[in-house]
Amino acid sequence: MSTTVLQALIGGLTMGGVYALIALGFSLTYTTTRTLNFAQGDFVSVGTFVGVGTIALIGGALAIDPASYPWAYLLAALAASLAMGAMGLPLYLAAIRPFAGKAGMSWVMSTIGFGIIMQSAALSLWGPGTRMVAAPLGDDVIRIAGAGFRSQEIMVLVLAMLLLGAIDYAMHRTSLGRSMRAVALNRDAAALMGIPVERIMALSFVVSSALAGLSGVLIAPIMSASLFMGVVIALKGFSAAIVGGLTNLRGCIFGGIMIGLAESFTGLWSAQWREIVVFVVVIAILAVFPDGLFGKKLVEKV
Amino acid sequence: MKLFRKLVLAAAAAALPLAGASAQDIKVAYNGDISGSPSAESGQIGVMGIAAAVEDINKRGGLLGRKLVFLVRDDLGQPPKSIQNMTDLIDREQVAVVFGPTNSGNALAWKHIANQKKMPVLVSSASSTAITEPTGKRPNYLFRISMVDRDQAAALVAYAAKNPEAKKIGFFVETTGYGQAGLKDMEQIAALHGIKPTVIEKFDARDTDMTSQLSKAKAAGVDTLVVWAQAAPLGHLVRSMEKIDYMPRVLTTWAASFSGFPQVAGDKLMEWPVFLTTSSAAPSSAGQSLLERIGPKLANRSMFWAATQAYDTVLVWAAAVEQANSLDGEAVQQALENLQKPVDGLVKQYDKPFSIQDHEGLQAQDYHWSRWQGGKVVDFEDPTLAAMTAADFKK
Repeated sequence: MSTTVLQALIGGLTMGGVYALIALGFSLTYTTTRTLNFAQGDFVSVGTFVGVGTIALIGGALAIDPASYPWAYLLAALAASLAMGAMGLPLYLAAIRPFAGKAGMSWVMSTIGFGIIMQSAALSLWGPGTRMVAAPLGDDVIRIAGAGFRSQEIMVLVLAMLLLGAIDYAMHRTSLGRSMRAVALNRDAAALMGIPVERIMALSFVVSSALAGLSGVLIAPIMSASLFMGVVIALKGFSAAIVGGLTNLRGCIFGGIMIGLAESFTGLWSAQWREIVVFVVVIAILAVFPDGLFGKKLVEKV
Repeated sequence: MKLFRKLVLAAAAAALPLAGASAQDIKVAYNGDISGSPSAESGQIGVMGIAAAVEDINKRGGLLGRKLVFLVRDDLGQPPKSIQNMTDLIDREQVAVVFGPTNSGNALAWKHIANQKKMPVLVSSASSTAITEPTGKRPNYLFRISMVDRDQAAALVAYAAKNPEAKKIGFFVETTGYGQAGLKDMEQIAALHGIKPTVIEKFDARDTDMTSQLSKAKAAGVDTLVVWAQAAPLGHLVRSMEKIDYMPRVLTTWAASFSGFPQVAGDKLMEWPVFLTTSSAAPSSAGQSLLERIGPKLANRSMFWAATQAYDTVLVWAAAVEQANSLDGEAVQQALENLQKPVDGLVKQYDKPFSIQDHEGLQAQDYHWSRWQGGKVVDFEDPTLAAMTAADFKK
């Protein structure tokens, strides 16, 4: 029994780490611009395919089997983060800036539209099929106390935790992080203090999109990569952000891990009830804590 | 301007013979998914098989002394598009027969159109049991030379029931319509054999970790899994089995031959399941000739069965046209239900393949048991299979 629990624990933490990365992306843009990128899922899937494409390019150019060269995967992860990060800028300029800070929900539609455009372009480039990405550290099963894991699960878990820690540190300890938090807290005051508000807002979209691209490449060896895989992951990431509190980075991390664990432990009992349990928990938490577990009420100025 | 018009007319006249369709030609069509869904792979390969059969018939002088012209319509796996293709092919193109589709849902979406417009349809890929079931008292225009889900379930459960090593059986299905329909068939057939599955577990087609479901089967001592899932989740299932170090016998459908399965499962685990296909590893000489023609175009040789059964649909239809000596839908439908001469196909010899009640050209006993070995699909043989008779395939 204990091996089954350990199996579920690590599985849940792994997916939870990915949800937390996505949740962070939502939180970053929400706190700085009060908008969300509803195309986050498409950034995950398109980022994955940028990674898949990079690996194929490296394999083709050097005539090697990229599966046996971990650095090819590293480059793919870098390419996906950079490419998606770069896409974050046009996303901000075209879909957010015209609407941010104004009444209405136009940015909801414009970000969804941006995602659909990206996904359709990627579909015409790569087609609807699924691809498998070889894990950089091999595909063998590693046994810990009877439970079995693959290297990628451990890697996603470790990397997600490191990244979450690094972002948390950057937000609280660096001047750039402080500027971002200042913009989140009070845009006008931040501008008066000489913080380049526009640039900070654009940067938050770049970072959030890069995180989505990176998450895609991280989970690709675990899931089969497809251009449709991002939607579900982004929905869970969004739920994680809402449950943890959109305004609180640490809350988002907590929310992601909680949803990952809720999922995998419900699976021990009945896999079919997984989504039901996860979303019942989400709704129940919101009923008691409308701003999420660790969120703060943001007062809209009228 | 006049010169320009003349040039256009001349170009149009020159293009006509190139387009190849004169009023005398017989148009036949494929309407199915060749690009949209994961099953598009079987559609693309089916189209190659049909094109090869059309080429062969034209080489030996055509049908009723007329040349066959083959039209392909992609329905992208979408029922509305498939319906639109169907009416276009029947009303505007006036085709003599429609082959396809790739996806079962699309066949069910336009089944009534084929029956109302008296258009013979030979299903070369879609496997849902309901496709060829008669609807009311009307003549049924849908015939099939492909696997049937009910028959696949019959074969898989029959093997599990016959194998003395299979003491506890588990059913593992995905939660899609495909998986649920498969589960229903398997449960009914298991009841015919008087066996009860020890566990029934379900998983989402997008799931990548099935360890929790497998742990339950492991704890219950299940030694044989009958799995009803598409290629990718099937791949994740065997990966999850390896994770918890639980390797029961896995019996499954033709889904295991689709490219998605070996891609996900990897070189080692892909060799684990035993599954069904319609062509054996060593094809007949006619099959060999087809393999030589289209083999180089196949990204995945293991899907060659999709070409052979599609090739056969054309031969069987052509035999019915010759017997009816007409292209009239009603006459061909009746000839198909009462074919006098046996047809030598690639999958088998079709001796009276259809009757008024039965529109299935292939039965459970015609299927080939297969497994992956060294990157190829090879025949699977064992004493249990050798001992199985037609009576074992209860359905």
